[in-house]
This record gives sequence, C-alpha cells and structure tokens, in this order.
Amino acid sequence: TSQVQRGLEKVTEAQVDQKSAEVVQYFLLKDQKKVPVRRADLVKHVVKEHRNIYPEIIKRAARTLDQVFGLKLVEIDPKNHMYILVNNLETSGDASPTTRPTDPKRGLLFVILSVIFMKGGVVRENVVWNTLKKLRVDPGEKHDEFGDVKKVVTDEFVRQRYLEFQRIPHTEPVEHEFRWGQRAEAEVSKAKILEFMGQLHDRDPQSWTQQYKEAHSSQNSSQQAGGSSQR
Amino acid sequence: GKEKATQLFSEGTAFDPSAFAEHLLSVMGINRLEDEEDEQQNGGAVDGYLPQDAWHRVARRAECCFRTAPSFHYMFGSFHAEPPPPKQRTE
Amino acid sequence: MSRQMGDSHRRFLQTMMANGIIDEQGAKTLHQHCCQTHNAQYAPDRLDDFIDTINSKLQPMFMQIRKGMSEDNGHQYYALVNMVENDVTRMTSDYADNELELFRKMMDLIVGSEDGKLSSIDILNSADSMTTKKLKKSEVEHLLNRLVQDKWLSEKRGEYTLSTRCIIEMEPYIRTMYQDQVKVCHICHAIAFQCQICENPTCGIKIHNPCVARYFKGRTEPRCPACEDFWPHEIPEVRRLRSQ
Ligand SMILES: [Zn+2]
Ligand SMILES: [Zn+2]
Repeated sequence: TSQVQRGLEKVTEAQVDQKSAEVVQYFLLKDQKKVPVRRADLVKHVVKEHRNIYPEIIKRAARTLDQVFGLKLVEIDPKNHMYILVNNLETSGDASPTTRPTDPKRGLLFVILSVIFMKGGVVRENVVWNTLKKLRVDPGEKHDEFGDVKKVVTDEFVRQRYLEFQRIPHTEPVEHEFRWGQRAEAEVSKAKILEFMGQLHDRDPQSWTQQYKEAHSSQNSSQQAGGSSQR
Repeated sequence: GKEKATQLFSEGTAFDPSAFAEHLLSVMGINRLEDEEDEQQNGGAVDGYLPQDAWHRVARRAECCFRTAPSFHYMFGSFHAEPPPPKQRTE
Repeated sequence: MSRQMGDSHRRFLQTMMANGIIDEQGAKTLHQHCCQTHNAQYAPDRLDDFIDTINSKLQPMFMQIRKGMSEDNGHQYYALVNMVENDVTRMTSDYADNELELFRKMMDLIVGSEDGKLSSIDILNSADSMTTKKLKKSEVEHLLNRLVQDKWLSEKRGEYTLSTRCIIEMEPYIRTMYQDQVKVCHICHAIAFQCQICENPTCGIKIHNPCVARYFKGRTEPRCPACEDFWPHEIPEVRRLRSQ
C-alpha cells in the first residue's frame, strides 16, 4: 500500500477519478455478455500506465458501481482475480410497471440450476438432458429459440460462470457432471428457488430438509453480506 | 417403526426431476391434445404443444431467484466516428 | 433539493439500462414505483429533477438519460445514452465489425434520403459494397431483425427508419457527421427524418410530422411559419397519449 501511496502522489485526483470511471465503463461493457472480467485484461486495456495505483482505482470503481448503479463488484475467483457484477436491489417482479424484456435462456438456466441444487449440488449430465427433453428441448437437435442447446449450456453458461461442467474421471464412455458456477453462487438465491419448488409441487419447502438447510446457511450469509455494502 | 418412518421421510424428500418437469410444463402453458388419454396409453407423455412464449414464462417466473445486473447497451461509441463518403451527384 | 442518489434512483436507472428507452408516461409510472418501493419521497411533478440527480452522477461515465420526441407519434421519450467514443466503448460486442459497417451505411443512406426511410432491397444492395467481411442475404435479414429488436431501427411494411432511441443517442453524432445533409425541424429544432418541407424554393424549412400536427391544429388556412406561403401538405392528426 505504501507503493500505492507513492503512486497516488504522482497523479492528480481528477486523473484517478477519470481512470476509475473508465474502469466502470469497462465493467458495464463486459457485463453485456455476462463474461467475468479478468484483472489482467482490465490492466491491459484500461488501467495501463496507472497499474501501480490499481487498488485505489478499483476501490473507487466499486464505489461508483455501488452508489450510482446499485451493483456490487464481486471477486469470484480470488486466485485468478476475476470479477462479476451482481445486483444489490431485489427484483421487483410483477410490481414493476415497466416489463423488462425477458430472456428465454434465463428459463433454461433456471431449470438446470434448480435440478442441480435439488439433487444435492452435483448431477450427471444425463439427468439434465433428460429433464430438458421432457420440456421439449433436445440437446442433440437445433432448438427454435436456443439454437445449439448443448453449446448454450456447456459453453455459454460455463463461460459466464453460471455452471461448471466437468468430466467425471474414469468413465467409459466419457461422462460429465454439472455443478453451480461461481456466478450462480453469487447471484442466485437458493432460498427463492426452494420457495418456487414448494409452489410448483404444492409442498412445504421445509420438507426438503437438506436443501432447506443449505439454502438458509451458506448462501444466505454470503448474499446478505453482499446486499448492503459500504455506503 | 422408526426405520419405516425415516424411509418414508427420505422418499418424501426425494426430488424427482420428471415430476419437476411435469409441473414446469403447466407453467409453460402446455396445450394437451384433445385425445390426450389415447396418447398417454401409447406412452406419449411428450405430447401436447407448447406456446411460443413457453420459455419466456419460465424466465419471468424465475426472475425473482436471480440478482442479475441489468446491462447497458449503446450504439454511439461502438464504432469509429468517420464522416460518410462524399455523396455522388445524380444530376 | 437533495442531489444524493438513493435506491429509488438506482432502481430507475437499472430499469433504463434494461429497457434502453421508455415513453414519458412509462417514466412517470416508474418514478412513482421506484419511490414507493424504497419509501422515498415522491413528488409527481419532479420527474425531471429526479432524472437530473441521476444524470449528475452518470456524468463521469459519459452516460445520460436524455429526452427526445418520437417522430412517429410525437410523444416524449427518455433514453439512456452513451456520450463518448474511446478505446473502451469500442470494445462493445453486441454487433460485429461488419454488422456495424452495414449499420453505418444504412445511416448514410437514411440521412441522405428524402423521406428518412430505407427499403430492405436498398439495404441488401448496400451490403454488396461492404469493405469488411461481406454479409450473406440471410445474415443481413437476421441483423435487421436484431437491430429492430434492440430498438436501433424501426420497421414498417418492409421499410426501415432510425428508431427514436437511435435518434436520441445519435443526434450529436449525426449533426457533426452529416452537417450538409441533416434536416432540422423549424418548430422543435431537433433533427428531422420524417418531416414535411415548405415548397417555397427560397424557404424550404422542415417540420416533423407530429410538430406539423400540433402547430397547425385548429388553424383554418395553414401557412409556413417562416415565409407565410400556403402550406400545401396534408395536416396529420395530433396523436393522443396512451391512456393510463
Ligand atoms: Zn419538430
Ligand atoms: Zn416556407
């Protein structure tokens, strides 16, 4: 940090603000496709010669995202330094007068995340494909709305970090399994999914004991902490 | 007795993706064919057709589970500003 | 008045991000909804102040919620726009380079046209003269659909116009880039594509169709507001706001 301090002495306040505004632009831009931002790319494309004061720049960018846009900057992968944006505001749902455009892929993603969560956190790919088939989506065929479904699920959703899709070792023929990705952990509420499951099955969400426990422990604590960040 | 109770309980709490899918089909507004019974006897549980907005309906219902950031899209600034080529006179 | 943003402002801004553009009535309802959701003080007649507060905080990012008129129905709209072009903004990936090239060609043609419209045949023809990777016919059609869906173009009976969102965001760009060609409305002074033109050759002022409707409403003999000549065009009806 002393290095940062020394760096800060060489630039004007306005320069730091301008850089952090560009960083905000960059985060918003990258979020168009929901792909996480790598610190290395951020430095290369935006921060550039001001890399010595990077921590200060990112701190101000996070503050702007929070205070102006109501968005939280989350470092999902501290090892590889990757960031995503998560909403601080709850969805107002039906109460909102302007209907936000809905993305049908969101429905697809929801189904897969639900199955994984309800099955205890990890499922073999077949479970997912079979469920989708029942919903008239065949991963082997081109879908009117989703196009190449297999690509959307195992490539797009994985790149966005909603899903993890990994090979199960020592299987012949090759088999994969699905887990929640880091973005899903930060962005999706297990408690709300369980609530929805209860409505669908006409059951008390608490009757899924394991899932209920999971939904109201780990995830809640991480989300609550994020919900109201430093203002 | 106790064994039976735990067994029943675990059966009760098991999650069945097929049942889930069936429930979802109604959320999606599935339109079962009139001769549904015949179809089902033929093992045709996959019959009936979904409306155009079927996946939009799921998406809308699921929206409350997500805390997704809205994204900002723009046209200005996405390409290099360049004056247009001089107009050819047609006279 | 407080210039500090609250969650009500943030929710309003987020809805603008998600939608890109909303009409005035929608903005009013949204304003109320956002204030009520977050128990913020709600003043129905202070929508523009509310938006100014947001804009003052958006300024460092060169973003703005900007007001403009629809050439189609004459109503006011609010659009969230980007105001800067730099290395970062050009990294956007909504459209590929060749798609953007075609879009710019379309703008050239629309700005240079009499009526601000472009047929799909004209668009397909100009796709033939692209310098970047050429687009196939089906790709052009797909692109046009996306541009309409993303609210950059409007389509009516096979003819394309720049959408209200596009005009609001691109107005400063169009004014600088097409200085000699751009038409400006004599009444509201905004750029005009769909408009009527005074037939007096020494005058030739332009007026938006909705501005024509409003200006000549109730006048028995329409005369040009600049040269006093008879206004020979059909006077459209004033389009009423949607009820809500
Ligand atoms: Zn006008
Ligand atoms: Zn005149």
